[in-house]
Amino acid sequence: MEPPPIIKVSGLTKAYGPLQALQEVHFTVGPGDILAYLGPNGAGKTTTIRILSGLLDRDAGEVEICGRDVAVEPVAVKRLIGVVPDASNLYPELSCRRNLEYLGELYGLSRPRRQARAGELLDLFELGDRATAPFGNLSRGLKRRLTIAAALMHDPEVLFLDEPTTGLDVLSARTLRDLIRFINGQGTTVFLTTHNLQEAEALCRQVVILIKGRVVAQGTAATIRERVRRLNLLEVALAGQVTAEQLRRACPGVLAATPHDQAWRLEVADVHAALAQLLAFSEAAGLRLEAVNSTGASLEDAFLEILQENLNKPEAIP
Amino acid sequence: MIQLRQALAISRKDVESYYGKPPLITWGLLFPAVLMLALYVKDPGTYLAIAPGIIAMTLLFGNTSMAAIVVTFEKRAGTFERLLLAPLTHETMVLGKAVSAAAYGLATSLVLTAGLGLFLGLRLTQPLFFALGLAAGGLGFSLLGLMAAVMVREVFEAMTLMNFFRFPLLFVSGVFMPLAHLPGWLQAVALASPLTYVAELLRLGITGESYFPSPATPALALVAFLLCSWFLTAALFRRRASQ
Repeated sequence: MEPPPIIKVSGLTKAYGPLQALQEVHFTVGPGDILAYLGPNGAGKTTTIRILSGLLDRDAGEVEICGRDVAVEPVAVKRLIGVVPDASNLYPELSCRRNLEYLGELYGLSRPRRQARAGELLDLFELGDRATAPFGNLSRGLKRRLTIAAALMHDPEVLFLDEPTTGLDVLSARTLRDLIRFINGQGTTVFLTTHNLQEAEALCRQVVILIKGRVVAQGTAATIRERVRRLNLLEVALAGQVTAEQLRRACPGVLAATPHDQAWRLEVADVHAALAQLLAFSEAAGLRLEAVNSTGASLEDAFLEILQENLNKPEAIP
Repeated sequence: MIQLRQALAISRKDVESYYGKPPLITWGLLFPAVLMLALYVKDPGTYLAIAPGIIAMTLLFGNTSMAAIVVTFEKRAGTFERLLLAPLTHETMVLGKAVSAAAYGLATSLVLTAGLGLFLGLRLTQPLFFALGLAAGGLGFSLLGLMAAVMVREVFEAMTLMNFFRFPLLFVSGVFMPLAHLPGWLQAVALASPLTYVAELLRLGITGESYFPSPATPALALVAFLLCSWFLTAALFRRRASQ
């Protein structure tokens, strides 16, 4: 028998005056899952997190976390969740250790327990040598790490991460992703919003795409990619200057050409025909074909296509 | 009991982060000390009659301002949201914030009183009522500051909002002269002001005299004021937090 969902959202609706932020949002998250909650800016992702974490009242719908309604039992639900907002918001004047211990106090941990837990988390997040440094003096990446550590002080069942790697350098972002995998591996369910689709694809088993406050796609990353399966993508590197117009004119099988990392990303209807046309073009133009990769549609491709479809739809609600 | 411990954790953190800092302590001390010295220099014989009102006024301005500054600062820094995410009732959060601001007011007032005793010969005839007045005033005025802070975004907005009630309270509460010397209609209005009861408890503590025949009247009025302000502030926290 399938275990009951740890997060259950149905018919969730929220408006800010005339602006409909969420409209009949439904989704569930199973225990131990990592869910990517994706959408463009203003789609309603942060509003959803604020409602799920008891910071914001909903207008309609049901929200349950571990079987408890956040509007009915806000204190009990807050004990079960950890929240990492999009901005690192610990106390700048307090040291890293004191920040963790203070939050442990607010969650009712005994002194020995919170001291031990703070030590464990400082070690896990490789902040042991910064334990006495004020939070305000840390770099952005270290602030992000401590903010996640703070959300884990009380060992929550569910961790909400609102754009955890935004603004971080590549190394810090990768370290954080590894930590998120580790935390999930310990059994914590993770609810993640991000604009980094590669990150979502690498980390998450389940994906929900939200546009203009509506859920427009949900499932595994693979099922969402299926929606754009008809597209074949070729990544082609040519030694020499060529324009998209030249490529499309010389190769009728190329539906769209976009520059991508020193190469061209081509959407083609038929790989075989397009490759033959490309070879003929490169020989005729005296351009050496340096690399060709055939790829399937990524989550990012699927997201962009779904976004395009939905942005063109007329507004249902003003 | 757990919620009370959590409220005290908030208070300890606030004292450590804000109220224990030297600039705030000197700010809370210098203003009333200079004012009191000016009154003493003007007339050493009558300054004692005004001292309770000045201490009450210091509590009113100091505590409302500090509580409001701390909350608006935390709202801007995002740390207020961190508090709202904790598994606490809004009553607990408000209590924690108010107790720390009250501790600040209490500490500065006690240092001021000690200084007045040492240098200007001030003596407390009924220390218990004096302490009760300080504690109730500190807590009550902190709650007013929190109420204002939660309704606005910026510190200057909180100050503007609070000045709408702080200055009228000074006028009607017998701060600059004993209540009995006010016109009859003003004495009636004064009964609606919490500052009146704080000033009268402090007056009883310092001079042993009060406008009220029994200390129970100001004490009970302040208890009612504290409970109403506490629950009203918690309701405002809840409403503002969920918007």
